[in-house]
Amino acid sequence: MIGFVSRRLATALVQLVGLALVVFFAIRLLPADPVARLVGLNASRDAYLTAQRSLGLDRPVAEQFGSYLGVLPGSSGLLQGDFGRSWVTGDPVAQEIGRVLPITLELITVSFVLAFLVSVPLGMICAIRPGGAADRATFAYSLFAGSQPEFWWGLLFIFVFFAELGWAPAPLGRLDPMSTPPAVVTGFITVDSLLAGNMAAFRDGVHHLMLPVLTKVFVLSGPIVKMVRQNMVRVMASDYVLFAQASGLTPGRIARIALKNALAPALTLLGVLYGYILGGAVLIETVFSLGGIGSYAVRSVLAFDYPAIQAVVLVIAAVSLLVYLVLDLLHAALDPRLVG
Amino acid sequence: MPGDALLSVRGLTVAFNGVAAVSDLDLDVMPGEILGLTGDSGAGKSTLGLALLGLTRPPGRILRGRAVLEGTDLLALPEAARRRLRGRRIGLIVQSPRGALSPLHTIGAQIGGVLRAHLPLSRPEAAARSVGLLRRLGLNDPERRAGAYPHEISGGMAQRVLIAMAVGAGPRLLVADEPTSGLDVTIQAAFLDELAATARAAGSAVLLMTQDLGIIANYCDRVAVMQGGRIVAEGATRAFFAAPADDYSRTLLSLRQAAPPPAPAEAAPLLRVTGLCKRFRLRGSGKTLQAVNRVDLAIARGETLGLVGESGSGKTTVGRLLLRLLEPDGGEILFEGRDLARLPPGELRRTRRRVQIVFQDPQDALDPRWTAAEILGEALERRDPARVAELLALVGLEPGDAARRPRGLSAGAQQRLSIARAIAADPALIVLDEPTSALTPLARVGIVRLLRDIQARLGTSYLFISHDLNTVEQLSHRVAVMYLGQIVEQGTREQVFRAPRHPYARALLAAHLAPDPSRRRLDRPPAAALEGEIPSPVDLPRGCYLAGRCPEARPDCRSTPQRLLGLPDGREIRCLPEAERAGVLPDPIPA
Repeated sequence: MIGFVSRRLATALVQLVGLALVVFFAIRLLPADPVARLVGLNASRDAYLTAQRSLGLDRPVAEQFGSYLGVLPGSSGLLQGDFGRSWVTGDPVAQEIGRVLPITLELITVSFVLAFLVSVPLGMICAIRPGGAADRATFAYSLFAGSQPEFWWGLLFIFVFFAELGWAPAPLGRLDPMSTPPAVVTGFITVDSLLAGNMAAFRDGVHHLMLPVLTKVFVLSGPIVKMVRQNMVRVMASDYVLFAQASGLTPGRIARIALKNALAPALTLLGVLYGYILGGAVLIETVFSLGGIGSYAVRSVLAFDYPAIQAVVLVIAAVSLLVYLVLDLLHAALDPRLVG
Repeated sequence: MPGDALLSVRGLTVAFNGVAAVSDLDLDVMPGEILGLTGDSGAGKSTLGLALLGLTRPPGRILRGRAVLEGTDLLALPEAARRRLRGRRIGLIVQSPRGALSPLHTIGAQIGGVLRAHLPLSRPEAAARSVGLLRRLGLNDPERRAGAYPHEISGGMAQRVLIAMAVGAGPRLLVADEPTSGLDVTIQAAFLDELAATARAAGSAVLLMTQDLGIIANYCDRVAVMQGGRIVAEGATRAFFAAPADDYSRTLLSLRQAAPPPAPAEAAPLLRVTGLCKRFRLRGSGKTLQAVNRVDLAIARGETLGLVGESGSGKTTVGRLLLRLLEPDGGEILFEGRDLARLPPGELRRTRRRVQIVFQDPQDALDPRWTAAEILGEALERRDPARVAELLALVGLEPGDAARRPRGLSAGAQQRLSIARAIAADPALIVLDEPTSALTPLARVGIVRLLRDIQARLGTSYLFISHDLNTVEQLSHRVAVMYLGQIVEQGTREQVFRAPRHPYARALLAAHLAPDPSRRRLDRPPAAALEGEIPSPVDLPRGCYLAGRCPEARPDCRSTPQRLLGLPDGREIRCLPEAERAGVLPDPIPA
């Protein structure tokens, strides 16, 4: 098991190094001038050159890459865990990402877990009677929910639950502007407020999370239900379920056996889905004005903020790889055939 | 007689969306007997079996009827009460032993789960009993085995575990639905031996549903034949095989004992293969798998060579090497005077017309978007409608089938089309790779007849590859037995089937279940069975490959590579001790 994990971590590291390389050179191939973007089109030639020097863009590309990696003497780069400073704000990129990443992770992880908890029983009910009323209703729902973009569902939910019913708070960020945010420990508002014992902030955080999570769960559940249903139908038709029934096992026990067999192969697909959603988080963040990593990525790209772009790509990739790894380990724990 | 029946089924009707799969069926099972239930695919056997347990799957519904087991009508019980009877009074054995065990749960947990469903046991008590049960099954180190997953135990152990679970709570009736389909012959025989012995010991009756009349003849006391959801014939096994009462069984048994048409005697063989070898490199480990190992064989014009062996013996690889669908690593394939193994690509393509192949699954081998006429036209040099019609007639298809696509044809008709395509180019040799294995017994009879007919008319030679010994016996003039990539015995049909000499061939043919109740396996003394299971063809020993399992192995067998030795009666075997017994003097092995 330890060998498996270290092998996987080593592979992930190689992938990240390759990615760092590709991203670094690819953005420098773009027909864009970050210096002009920064100083404005009317700036003098001197001001332009000063800005170029301060960004380090006057140096040869190889040298820029060396200092980005942190292998040049006196430079501080990836090897030192330093993503550099944002060209727009001047703040360390690591610090900025530390602020925005938890917001996104909190949103999609909570949505993911909830969607999973909703979808598994739903998928099972569908699988027990394929073509039955529950199956048909679920099929209609997943077609309906999946055929319209999530930002549209988000707007619709804001209209219904905030504007009409008044159950949800205004979609203007992670906390009410009047409430005191808890001291930052993990960056996750819910966790930090609980750690600080600040129940008011916790309630407010959950309240603000309600609609974005609802939107995500609503859209995400469709594919997960389908996946669970598919696997479950296959397992219910298997010889071992038939044999279990013929041996007189109770329906509850058979369902537990079947569920384990149906969920194990679904885990890998969940990892793919997680990475996909992390990359596309900007839509939901924009609708609910959550300053997450998606919005940060878009802002960085529009501003040609090279250090920020490079860091965002690496961080999202690293998170995705980590999630894959965790799910693979879980899969291996469920399915002993994968070990060894 | 119904008075003393263990199970008596009356007027049972099961329908799927209004179409009856089992209609108005009456059947009695006597206490302690093994009743064979046979019939073609779709006759309703499985539907009947599941209905008896109340496990009819939607959209199927039991419309009416009774199934009285020891005075209780199973079908009238509420589901919860019926569930308590399942496993305790009536049990089920499903296809493939390993498939009946959940791959993600330990053996011990699965046995314990079944025990706890019927007996008031705590979890630790059930676990202790599971270990006890495994010990009684003769598994060494049962504590450790209980914690093993199904993929970690051997197939033989999985079989015993499955049978033990099915009879564990002492059911009076076991329903076995094609319990050995897809298993190799030796494993099939071992499984059925175990099942019959355990059922006899426990006094349970068995309703054994199978398409294989060989199994019925060898294991069953009585036979019932099902067709279109009804029982069409019923009787004691011997009487049944002596004079089958229904058309279905008569058709199946019509090929029994009928030898294939004799091959024309000819001195020079059409095909002579010497020293054929094929290795596959395994990804990751860097090890090699010796799939075909120094194979020598010869086929005369108009002759059929049957190539038999169990899964993984390399028989399919031999077939593909002959056509160079796979590149051989060594050896010579002399066909009509030329060495196919060394032909340049252009000439090889022209020669391929003379050597054709028919695959196991016609559905995979025929393009689903083409009509039969297009498929045949492709195989011809010119798309000649007259020739297409001629080919269709030759394989017994209707002229109207020319416009059909493969999906519009039955599996048997698809295989006929596949054969028509093979003979379109007028080949001298056809490699038939399990052409009857994916077919129902009835369609199989038709294909065997067709192949015999084509051979008689066109003088085509066949290499007939199959694990189904009955079909091989019906078609072959000579038979070669393969084990782990080597031919271990080669001789005429009579030599190999009547008196095999190589220990592996003997074990294989002892496990052969012929549809003939006069030599029942149940009544025969247990033949020299081989120990253990077929080892993997990776890391093979230096000496005889069978030495580890052979009851007659001598010390020198393990160290001496065995060569194919000719015996005075014309056959060849790869076993020095046996050859010596037959009067062959060992000659010094050339360096």
